[in-house]
Amino acid sequence: MLKEITLGQYYPGNSILHRLDPRVKLVGTLVFIISLFAFGSTSAYIAAGLVLAVVITLSAVPLKFILRGLKMIFFLMLITALCNLFLTPGDVIFKVWKLQITAQGVRMAIHMAVRLTYLILGSSIMTLTTTPNQLTDGMETGLGWMRVLHVPVHEIAMMMSIALRFIPILMDEANRIMNAQTARGADFTSGGLIRRARALIPLLVPLFVSAFRRANDLALAMESRGYHGGEGRTRMNPLVYQRRDHIAYGIIALYLVMIFLIWKYVEISLPFLP
Amino acid sequence: MGREKIIEGSGLSYHYTVYDDEGRPAAKQTALDGVDLQVEKGQFIAILGHNGSGKSTLARHLNALLVPDGGTLYVNGYDTRNDTHVWEVRQSAGMVFQNPDNQIIASVVAEDVGFGPENMGVPTEKIWKRVEQALKMVGMWEERDASPNRLSGGQKQRVAIAGVIAMRPACIVLDEPTAMLDPAGRTEVIRTIRELNEQEKVTIILITHNMEETVYADRILVMDHGKVVMSGNAKEVFSRVEELEHLRLGVPQPALLAWKLKQKGLSLPDGILTMEELAEALEELRKNGQRGAVREL
Repeated sequence: MLKEITLGQYYPGNSILHRLDPRVKLVGTLVFIISLFAFGSTSAYIAAGLVLAVVITLSAVPLKFILRGLKMIFFLMLITALCNLFLTPGDVIFKVWKLQITAQGVRMAIHMAVRLTYLILGSSIMTLTTTPNQLTDGMETGLGWMRVLHVPVHEIAMMMSIALRFIPILMDEANRIMNAQTARGADFTSGGLIRRARALIPLLVPLFVSAFRRANDLALAMESRGYHGGEGRTRMNPLVYQRRDHIAYGIIALYLVMIFLIWKYVEISLPFLP
Repeated sequence: MGREKIIEGSGLSYHYTVYDDEGRPAAKQTALDGVDLQVEKGQFIAILGHNGSGKSTLARHLNALLVPDGGTLYVNGYDTRNDTHVWEVRQSAGMVFQNPDNQIIASVVAEDVGFGPENMGVPTEKIWKRVEQALKMVGMWEERDASPNRLSGGQKQRVAIAGVIAMRPACIVLDEPTAMLDPAGRTEVIRTIRELNEQEKVTIILITHNMEETVYADRILVMDHGKVVMSGNAKEVFSRVEELEHLRLGVPQPALLAWKLKQKGLSLPDGILTMEELAEALEELRKNGQRGAVREL
């Protein structure tokens, strides 16, 4: 169960998306996410979904990998959808005891689920086609101006890339510890929520200890390889905009305009959507 | 000898402070006690010792991660006690650590190898040249785009070695690089180290507790309780079987077998280290008409 998080796992490839400048992909993802929240209508979501499908096809990443990220947020999605379903005030269409479902609630729940799905799919595509180093490079260069405001951009970028590198390792480790505990009779899978949460304590303590040990080792390894912060560092893959990057920026702008127009002027009402 | 000295240490000592439960310094533990170490360009030095013998502490001194309490240590001509040269020292003595996972920083093999040169401020095109060269030297160029998580332990360790080579150090210090590997990975890493030393003339300092790995070294230093207790080439060191056993260090199997056969009265030559050498020596005995003696055993 712990192995299935793909967020932050690079899928090697050589598609057009892999070759795009990470800054373009960052801006693109950001624009996409903003558009989801700013322009929420059925028509806009259908359009965004089509765009997403095209992007996924272009990325040449197997669908299996992309969808894996969704499983992780399934419960979050379920809870959000249920909350929206039952707690949105409006025209009641169904009522049992104190629970009521409103037309607006159904709409909100579906919109929320679609929004979250798109959000995860969109950011998964970015992280699957961009190496974390490129990604942090993109953030560092793209947000370099924030250094003027005393934001430690380089340090944050470095921390992120290290975190991303160690997530799968710590996942493996958690699995190993879990198996070791299970072999000695620990039970992680039965009982209520509280009991299960409590069963995780003997898992988390050794995991934390090992994470600290790894952090210590890594700090030593980085220092011994001459790491001394962002100053005077050169780049192995310096970011240079290509023609395709400018074109991609154009497409992103076009997307934003298109989705705005669709949201504003096109109305689609699906029969099963009140 | 007119050869360039890369490491010159004399009278090195270092103490760890042990703290009690309330965090007050309680005792001092000696980790290094008057160690002398000289390494020349192109040499393959092995430092051997069991846990707690001070061998890892010594390794960390070579990279200025630790600074000696007493004595002096010059790495490539730089005094490690001098703060201003710390980066030159670290570039001169590249370190490879025990755990292959905890020293790979990037999520792609090539980017990890480029990490050191990036820190040194090497221009971009030159970084790529160095990365290509380093990865080819350890035979990992084919895997340059792979994620380190998909590699075996031995491969990860070879990537870590490439990461150090790319910094063009004067010598490479390997601190128990095979301790966490399976036998296949162990052979792979040791073979890589040997090839680097023999073909590329890279200066190697290998720290280990595994005797078999030191067989090919030009010189072996055996450490115990922070002191160098034995020093010499492989043949000299491994003929002192009893002393080594006393230090809780196992002699390589062929050497041990040869030693035991000699105790039984077979006239085997000194300094047998590998299975091939032993087989040859026994064959020699058989030809020379000592067949009876061999059969008797």
